[in-house]
Parts: sequence; C-alpha cells; structure tokens
Amino acid sequence: MIPIEYFITFGIILFCIGAYGVMSKSSTIVVLMCIELMLNAANINFVAFSAFTGDVMGQVMVIMTISVAAAEVAVGIAIVLNAYKVRKTVSTEGLASMRW
Amino acid sequence: MFVEYTWLVPLIPALCFAIVGFFGRRTPACGGYIAIVGAAASFVIACLVSYDFWTSDAYAGPGYVEEHIKWFSLGGHDVNIGYYVDSLSCLMMLFASFISTLIFIYSLGYMGDQGDKRRRYFAEVALFLTGMLGLAASSNMVEMFIFWEIMGLCSYLLIGFWGFDHPGGEDMADNAASAAKKAFLVTRAGDVCLMGGMFILYQAMGSLDYSVIFNQANLSAVDGDTLALASLLIFGGAIGKSAQFPLMDWLPDAMAGPTTVSALIHAATMVKAGVYLVARCLPLFCQNEEVLLFVAVIGGFTAFFAATMAMNNMNIKKVLAYSTLSQLGYMFLSLGAGGYLICLGIKDGNAELVAAGAVGYIAGCLHMANHAFFKALLFLCSGSVIHSCGTEDMRLMGGLGKKMPITSITMLIGCLSIAGFPFFSGFWSKDLVIETVFEAGETDPLGWVFMIVWFLAIVTAFMTAFYMFRLWFMTFRGEAGPNAEHAHGESPKSMTMPLMILSVFAFGFGFVLLTGFDGLLELVPSATGLWTVGNGAAEGVGHYMGELFTNPYTYLTIALVLLAIGLAYLMYCKRSVSPGIVSKDGKSWLYRAVANRWYMPEIYDQVSWKLGYGVARGVDFFDRDIIDGTVNGLSNAVVGGGESVSKMQDGNVHTYSTVVVAGIILLFAASLVLFFVFGGI
Repeated sequence: MIPIEYFITFGIILFCIGAYGVMSKSSTIVVLMCIELMLNAANINFVAFSAFTGDVMGQVMVIMTISVAAAEVAVGIAIVLNAYKVRKTVSTEGLASMRW
Repeated sequence: MFVEYTWLVPLIPALCFAIVGFFGRRTPACGGYIAIVGAAASFVIACLVSYDFWTSDAYAGPGYVEEHIKWFSLGGHDVNIGYYVDSLSCLMMLFASFISTLIFIYSLGYMGDQGDKRRRYFAEVALFLTGMLGLAASSNMVEMFIFWEIMGLCSYLLIGFWGFDHPGGEDMADNAASAAKKAFLVTRAGDVCLMGGMFILYQAMGSLDYSVIFNQANLSAVDGDTLALASLLIFGGAIGKSAQFPLMDWLPDAMAGPTTVSALIHAATMVKAGVYLVARCLPLFCQNEEVLLFVAVIGGFTAFFAATMAMNNMNIKKVLAYSTLSQLGYMFLSLGAGGYLICLGIKDGNAELVAAGAVGYIAGCLHMANHAFFKALLFLCSGSVIHSCGTEDMRLMGGLGKKMPITSITMLIGCLSIAGFPFFSGFWSKDLVIETVFEAGETDPLGWVFMIVWFLAIVTAFMTAFYMFRLWFMTFRGEAGPNAEHAHGESPKSMTMPLMILSVFAFGFGFVLLTGFDGLLELVPSATGLWTVGNGAAEGVGHYMGELFTNPYTYLTIALVLLAIGLAYLMYCKRSVSPGIVSKDGKSWLYRAVANRWYMPEIYDQVSWKLGYGVARGVDFFDRDIIDGTVNGLSNAVVGGGESVSKMQDGNVHTYSTVVVAGIILLFAASLVLFFVFGGI
C-alpha cells in the first residue's frame, strides 16, 4: 500500500502550483485553471484520507466539490467571456477598473 | 400699596422701546410722544412708589422693601429676579426718569429735522432709560448686571447714532463709529472686572441678593481678603462705567453722538450707574479701609486730572465732558472718604467717625442728584447753542447772549451751580464732599493721603469755576464770532421749556439737604444685620448752615471760586488779561500736554497695540494652532490614513490573492507558535 505521506505531499505540491499560478499568471483563463488545480489538490487529500480511514464521507465530499467546481467554472468562463466582449482583453491588469 | 408696582417703572420704557421700535414710523414725531409719555409715566409711578415707601412702615422697620421670584436654578443655587426699593433706588429712579422726560421733550425740537431716523433714536433712548431704571430697582447683582449691560449696548448704539449718514460728512461719521466702539470696548474692560467680582462674591456668599450680601452677619463670615478682592473688582466695573482714571478716555470721545444723548449719558443714565454701584455696594467696601482709600484716591485724582483737560479745550461739549469726569471723581471721592470714616469708626467703636462718614455718603448721593440736574441743563444749553449756530467750536461763537437770552441765562445758572457758587445746588454737595475729605484727612495713620486728595479737590473747585465761566464767557459774551453772526436766534419752545425747568432744579435742588435729605439717604451700618439706607435723623436747617459757614475752609473754597470767575471774566470777557500769558501762546509743554489729553489716547493705543494685540495674537495662536490643530490633525490623520490604505485596493486580482494567501500563512504560523507556547498536545 502506498503510504499516506505520498498523497499528502502530492496534494501540497499541486496546491502550491495552483496558488502560485493564481498569484502570478496574467491570463484570467489560466487563473481559473489554477483554481481548479487547488480544488483538486484538496480532493486528493479527501480521497486519500477516506481510503486511509475507511470512511466514505470524504469521497462524498469530493463528488460534492466536483459538482460545485463545474458550476464555478461555468460561471467564471461566462464572466471572462463577457469581460472580453467589453474590454477586448482577458489579462488581469486589463480588468482592474473595480477599485477606489 | 404702590411699592408692589415698582416693576412697572423699568417696564414702561421697555414697552415704549418695543412699540416705537416696531411701529414708530406710523406715529406722530416718529414715536417721540410715546417715549415722552412712557418716561413721564415712569416718573409718576416712581413718585408714587417713593412717596408710598417713605411713608410706609417698611421704611421705618427694615428700611427696604424686597420682592423676588425665582428666575432659574443652577444646581442647588437659585438666581432670583425682583425689585429692591430703598431710599437710594428711589432717588435714582426719581431723578433718572424726571430728567429723561425733559431730555425726551427737548429731543422733539433738537432731533426734529432727522426724519425717519428719529424712530431709531427714540426707541434706543427708551431702552437706555429702561436700563437705568431697572438697574436702580434690581434686587440682586445678576439682574443689575443685565440692566448694566443694556445700558452699555444703548450707549454704543446712541454714540454711534451718526455712524453713517452724518450731517457733517464722511469723516464725522467715521469718528462717531470709532467713538462708539471705543466706548463699548473700554467699558467692557470694566464689565469684565465687575463680572469677576460678582463670581468671587457668589462663590464666597452663595447668593447675590442685596438683602443677603449686605448683611453684616454674612459679611463677617467671609474672609476679609476675598471681600477686598471682590470689592476692588466691582469698583473696576464702576471705573469703566463712570469713566474714572484710567478707563476715562471714552467719555470725551462719546461727544460724537447727538447732544441729547450726551445729556442722557452724563446726567440721567450710564455714568451714574457706576456711582450707584459703589453707593449700593458700600457695605461691602466698608469691610476693608484700603479699598475705600483706593476709591477715594482714584476719585480725587480723576477729579483733578480731568479738570486740567477742560481748561484749554475749545469744543463746548468736550469741556462739559471733562467736567463730568471731574464731578464723578468728586462723587467717588466722597463715597470713598465717607466709607473710610465709617470703616474706621466701626473698628474703633467711635460713633462720631461713623456719623461723619455717613455725611460723606449723603454728600456723594446729593452730588450725584445735583450733578444730574445741572449737567443735563448744561448739555441741553450747549445743544441749544449748537443747534443755533451750527458749530461746536467756542472760538466761532461769542456774543450769543443777546440772540439767545433764555439759553444764556439758564446756562449761567448751570455754570454757577457746577462751580459751587454759594446757595446754588452744587455748592451744598461739593462743600460737603470737601469737608468730609478734610475730616478723613485728620484720621491716623493714612490721613496724609486724604490731605493730598483734599488739596486736589480744592484746586479742582477753582479749576471747575474757571473753565465753566471760560465756556460761558466765550459763548455768550464778547464779540460775535463768524458762526454766531449767522446764528438763527433762540431755539423752539420744546427746547427752552426743559431748560427753564431744569434751571429751577439746578438752582434749588441743593436745599433738600436742609429739609431732610440727610436723614433719607443716611447709610446705617449694622453690627449683625442688614446695612440699610435711610431712616436716619435729619439734622435740620441750622446744622448744615452752621457746619458749612463756621468752617474756614468753606470760605477758602468760595474765595477760590470767586477768584476763578473773576479771572475767567478778565481773560475771556473783558480780555484785559491775555490767556496767552499763562500758556506762552500755546507753546508751553503743559498747554500742549493738556491739549493732547495728557497723551492718554496715545497711551491707550500703545497699550492696546502692544498688550491687547499681543494677547489677541497669543489667543489666536492657541485657537488656530492648538485647539483647531488638534481637531484638524485628528481628522487629517483619519482621512489621510484612509486614503493611503485605499491605495492598496488596486483592482488587480493577484494582489488580493497574494494578501489572502499571506494572511493564511500568517494565521497558520501564529497558531503554530501558540500551539508550541502552550505546550503542544
């Protein structure tokens, strides 16, 4: 059996890549994808602990998260597309007008 | 029976003020008749009240009638409003309302050509009279102070009556406006002192009702130094209002107002308020003889100092203004010396000294009433002259005696009275003042101060006679000056009639001293109870005749007065002695110093620039930089902080996410630290 530390380390790496992408990438599409990465890092943790403890609750949570993530992507892509219609750009610098 | 209607006395002129002020334009003479009727009604009621009071049981019993209602409460302290009637307030109400009535009648003629401005004039003089009558009838010092301030306001308004649209042009209007400001500000300096004195007194005695604070039992319970400070501050108020040294300079400038207003200020209202205040508060002053010495010295010095300035002034009204200062000085001198004798007498248990001091009090009050009559007369006469020849410069007058016989004769009576010519009213009071000061001079150990003041008073009597007759001769005798030639004769009846009535009183009012005035106005000290005025033993005709005419110094005064009149006759009527001999044709330093009012205006300017402006700048700095600075600094800190923090909201998603991640890391680190600090699992 693969030790649980491997799964956790994998989740941490995946989460850090996602977080880094959210903080540094200028394209909104890539930012959305990075958010998906972070969600999936959390999903891996859920599944790993579920299998490790023999409790199915974690797997139920993962199904829940995947459905929410699907809805979130649909809304997010719709916003990005509309923003592109108005501003002709999807870069985060170009969509910074909502401020003081 | 009538005494309970005392509140009507100040109320009627107040109503006249409101009626004339709002509807005056629609009434005949722009409200003049309403003001006259109001003043006359006040006089009638004052007569009834006085008669009723002097024949009542209350006069013989407690010596006063007091009624008050609660006005407002501050914490546990009540401030009352009401009336306090005793001989002194009766005297004040009687002569103030009587003289004001005559002055209002005179104003009908004098202000007759002023058109709609008369509405403002009559409304303001009615309010002025309210102030004086209310002051006399008040039952406590807070109420008194309100009426005191009403008078201050009215003097400002009336002195500045010609502050715009002056018939003499723009410069005169500016002059009137600045004179009004000066009067207001200088008397304000005194008022601040008075208010301080009232606060101290209230703090010490817990009440400002006359019947409480002039009760010896209450006075004895308070520390003497506190009382001395309170009395000195209250006297400071009187110095400002009655224009004594050093706050005297506003009164000559106040001549910029109409002559009738000058008559009102000098005779019936305003400056008499200061004398009244000291006479009223004399029980308080009598707790410390040093305070009374100070009062007497200020009075004596002002009497002399002001008389010097009247000696060479060419403006007919200014001469009269200086003479008012000088006569007010006599009143303070008399009250101070009389109070000093009473104070010493009580201390040594010497009844003779107390009796001599009471004479000083009587003399002060009598001189106040006499002065009201002859100074009103003199001012109204000078107004008649100015009305006729259109100038105030005496060098342009002369020889008016033939053209204005009534004015000339009535003014002569006024001059004789103020000069202290025997048997005219001024003679009785002035000689009594001088005699009281002489008696105070015979006491130990500070008598020598009074001897100096006595000498000044004698010299002042000489100077008074000289400058008054200089004025009379220059105006009515000799060759006609340029303006006198074109003078249009005697003034109308509404102006000469008050002159004739006043001249009767200016001649004869002094005789009340022989017919019971001394008993009416005697200050009766009390060892345990309230000090009252009145109900003393009247000495009768013989006493004062004997006292005055067996005293060699009375003859000295009379001789000096006659000498002064003779000198004025030779210099200004026959012109056989040139005034230039004394003044070196106006080149001697003394003449120039006097002509420049002893440089008092310059000293005022210097003091107000250096001291006043410096203090004002300090206060301004404190206000702008410290108080405002604190408030503005706080708000600037909030606004600036908000602005700089809001810059962080730059709209870039990366910044937000970075902050969120950094926050989570910080929270995680902090909880780790706490986890290990508190010992792990």
